[in-house]
Amino acid sequence: MSRAAKHLPLILAGSALLLGGCDLGKKVTSQQGYRGTGIQQVVQPSLIPVAAAIPPEPYPASPDEGPRASETYQNVKVLGYASTDDFNRIMLSMNEWIGTGEQGCAYCHNPANMASDEKYTKVVARRMLQMTQNINNNWTQHVHATGVTCWTCHRGNAVPVYNWNKGPLPGDPMKLAGNKHGKDTPLAVVAYSDLPNKPFDTYLNTNPAVIRVAANSPYPGPKDTQPIDAARGTYGLMMHMSSALGVNCTYCHNTQSFRQWSISRPQRANAWYGIRMVRDINVNYIGGLANVFPAYRKGPQGDPNKANCGTCHQAQSKPMGGYPMLSLYPVLKGPRSGQKIAQPTLLTPAAPNGEDMSGPGQQIAAR
Amino acid sequence: MAAYQNIFTQVQLRAAPEMGPPLPWADSARDFKPWYSDLMGAIGNAQIGPFYLGTLGIASLFCGLIAFEIIGLNMLASVNWSWVQFVRQLPWLALEPPAPQYGISILPPLAQGGWWLMAGFFLTTSIILWWVRSYNRARALGIGTHTTWAFASAIWLYLVLGFIRPLLMGSWSEAVPFGVFPHLDWTAAFSIRYGNLFYNPFHCLSIVFLYGSTLLFAMHGATIMAVGRYGGERELEHIVDRGTAAERAGLFWRWTMGFNATYESVHRWAWWFAVLTTLTGGIGILLTGTVVDNWYLWAVDHHYATIYPDTGVVDPALLPGAPK
Amino acid sequence: MALLSFERKYRVRGGTLLGGDLFDFWVGPFYVGFFGVTGLFFTLIGTALILWGAALGPTWNPWLINISPPDLRYGLGLAPLREGGLWQIITIAATGSFISWALREVEICRKLGMGLHVPFAFSFAILAYVTLEIVRPLLLGAWGFGFPYGIFSHLDWVSNTGYQYLHFHYNPAHMLAVSFFFTTTLALALHGSLVLAAANPGRPGETMKSPEYEDGFFRDFIGYSIGTLGIHRLGLFLALNAGFWSAVCIVISGPFWTRGWPEWWTWWLNLPIWH
Repeated sequence: MSRAAKHLPLILAGSALLLGGCDLGKKVTSQQGYRGTGIQQVVQPSLIPVAAAIPPEPYPASPDEGPRASETYQNVKVLGYASTDDFNRIMLSMNEWIGTGEQGCAYCHNPANMASDEKYTKVVARRMLQMTQNINNNWTQHVHATGVTCWTCHRGNAVPVYNWNKGPLPGDPMKLAGNKHGKDTPLAVVAYSDLPNKPFDTYLNTNPAVIRVAANSPYPGPKDTQPIDAARGTYGLMMHMSSALGVNCTYCHNTQSFRQWSISRPQRANAWYGIRMVRDINVNYIGGLANVFPAYRKGPQGDPNKANCGTCHQAQSKPMGGYPMLSLYPVLKGPRSGQKIAQPTLLTPAAPNGEDMSGPGQQIAAR
Repeated sequence: MAAYQNIFTQVQLRAAPEMGPPLPWADSARDFKPWYSDLMGAIGNAQIGPFYLGTLGIASLFCGLIAFEIIGLNMLASVNWSWVQFVRQLPWLALEPPAPQYGISILPPLAQGGWWLMAGFFLTTSIILWWVRSYNRARALGIGTHTTWAFASAIWLYLVLGFIRPLLMGSWSEAVPFGVFPHLDWTAAFSIRYGNLFYNPFHCLSIVFLYGSTLLFAMHGATIMAVGRYGGERELEHIVDRGTAAERAGLFWRWTMGFNATYESVHRWAWWFAVLTTLTGGIGILLTGTVVDNWYLWAVDHHYATIYPDTGVVDPALLPGAPK
Repeated sequence: MALLSFERKYRVRGGTLLGGDLFDFWVGPFYVGFFGVTGLFFTLIGTALILWGAALGPTWNPWLINISPPDLRYGLGLAPLREGGLWQIITIAATGSFISWALREVEICRKLGMGLHVPFAFSFAILAYVTLEIVRPLLLGAWGFGFPYGIFSHLDWVSNTGYQYLHFHYNPAHMLAVSFFFTTTLALALHGSLVLAAANPGRPGETMKSPEYEDGFFRDFIGYSIGTLGIHRLGLFLALNAGFWSAVCIVISGPFWTRGWPEWWTWWLNLPIWH
């Protein structure tokens, strides 16, 4: 028997083992740049995420007539301009968007006193409505006319599946044992690379680090120059963005020069606004709710669970494939008359027992 | 076509072990009894040993062992001394250089790069001692020191990466971490930070010599094996007394590409291509960040950066009223 | 034309694969053969098309001349000449030229009574080229996946294609290939040094040394000497592996793996033995 034939079973078994972990079959490919530059997406069809089915509207919207919600109900601070029917429609849909389940309206409201702010969930929801208005009005360079609704992040969960918090307190930096210096660990957040694995606290929260690392001129200059470590950090953030959107680096960049805007795609500018939008959300909206959330909704350091790119995008380059859900619930942007609402005042969220809990950590600032 | 292709030795000979040419002085450093490996004998010499240990050798191996232990124990510590996690996470584990804030201080805190510095020191000492050893062994045998000078080119690149360039940049943090994946992250981050190293002309040269070396060894290795039936591997003999193997080998290349080397000169081609790989590579690294901060922009200035159609995208940070 | 002093006796008839005596002659030092003719044909066509492609472009700067493959939307069909068709024909010409060169080397080996190791080795390089420009685009369904013909533009392709997989250094076959490249260069430096050192002792008037000294040096230095034949086997083995794993690393990227390469390593992280 020839040597090859003798080893054939082993060869076949080995091949099966090796190929088993592969992405086999026809790929979905697309080109985003000049031909021959390698600016392409190659996607395994079975890995394309199947997002949860978008819930249909409960019933078609009625014309914008009748008393306003602020006239019909008490303690309506944000959506007062909406018609009562539009208001009810939002409240009904919220059950599905947040997945209140059997609790229904009681998830946020005291059924005996619907106006009461005694449940923290109602305080949070009010802030979330303001956040949604903010995104839909002031961040159109990122969300465009598609906009967002509560479903965009929550997708039927009280807490969006994709979130982050600061994690446990970092250990003593002078200790050796268990000290990885925030990198060199295989974690999904950085797509299992070795890169610094706290990109959200570093770049998408208060006092964000600078993301741009490549120099602006060919020769070293006196302006603040970035160390190689900073490039590792930025790379880690980009790993997250890649996973969060289900795209590779060439979706935004021509890697001939990461920094150069004139060879980058418009998506990169979109992402630039997206980063600032996420910072706005985390610092000015969610971050300010630290005193409202109970401990089990916060991280070990007492910071609320915050947003990153994955929160909305959920492995798609456009959330929900670009489905313009906001068009079914226009009051989440503003009055249906199209009249611009005033810059929403960031109301200091009251703690559930009605006392004003403003203090350090509450940011009242325009972006 | 079941002809012998000179890949594996068919008949291995055993005789008294070759203890090597006499050294000019009586030296017990070669006191190691050689043994034979059939596996090695299938492709080359079966004899393993003797080994010249010597003082320099002992010192070098000792320093190397210390460096190895520092690196390994730091990695083990970083996973809280768990052997299971050590093996599981080994490719990701690292001993990192100090953070940028420590500049080039002599000894940062141990857990903040101090151990890296020590490991680097012992590793460098080990390498330099081994390098001197290569010189001594050649001189003792009365042969040329070409190996030493080739080794020097590799040490040049090593020192540039871990010592000279960080010194010039004023920061140990610019140096390469110890670790399988971490040193690859460093490589990628280096290119991202300095504007795409493909546009560094010395990087181009180094790659030319790297691929050229591989091409040359494929050509040379194949040529010698192809004339094995004429004793082609006896290179020294053919250099002084050209036989039919050397003639056929030379003519093969002359008829193929119009010129040929000789049995000696091919080894000069080989030496220079290999040595120039690390020599130009080291220059390219040294110039990065010190003389040139963004190689793509430098290439644009010097008219060799590929020009792609303008996408029309502008930097949002430059637009009026842009958020920070 | 002038021959080398010993060359005449080797210039004999025979060894050809195709064509018999028809092309069995030399032009100057170059052997022609049937595949010399085909090779010249493909080379002239390919070079002419490259020059034409350069003329169509904006510059004659050799660093910037760029001939790109077609857009992906042309799939595996023939694109218009100015929209990537030129690239396609150049690729055919290059492949024909490389294969002709290899077969010409076979004829020369046969004529000189040598083993076929050199064309065998060269075929690895040809396979790497064919993998990059033909096999992988075929597997992905479009010629547009090939790399462009341009000195710096092909490097942009390497960069972008690598970043399609987020961090190409984590590709295990790429790791193997790089390791083989570096080891080949190390081995070449060692081998070149050793032969030159034995042949050129350095001290004036000192006699050249024998292979026993070559073995002696390496046994003293690292405890083992692979020997004169072994080093050439090793060098060829290392060099061919560099080319082989390079071809593997790119053909699996896309056709067999679409995610980031760091993620591939999760099979190791998730082995059941880590309880």
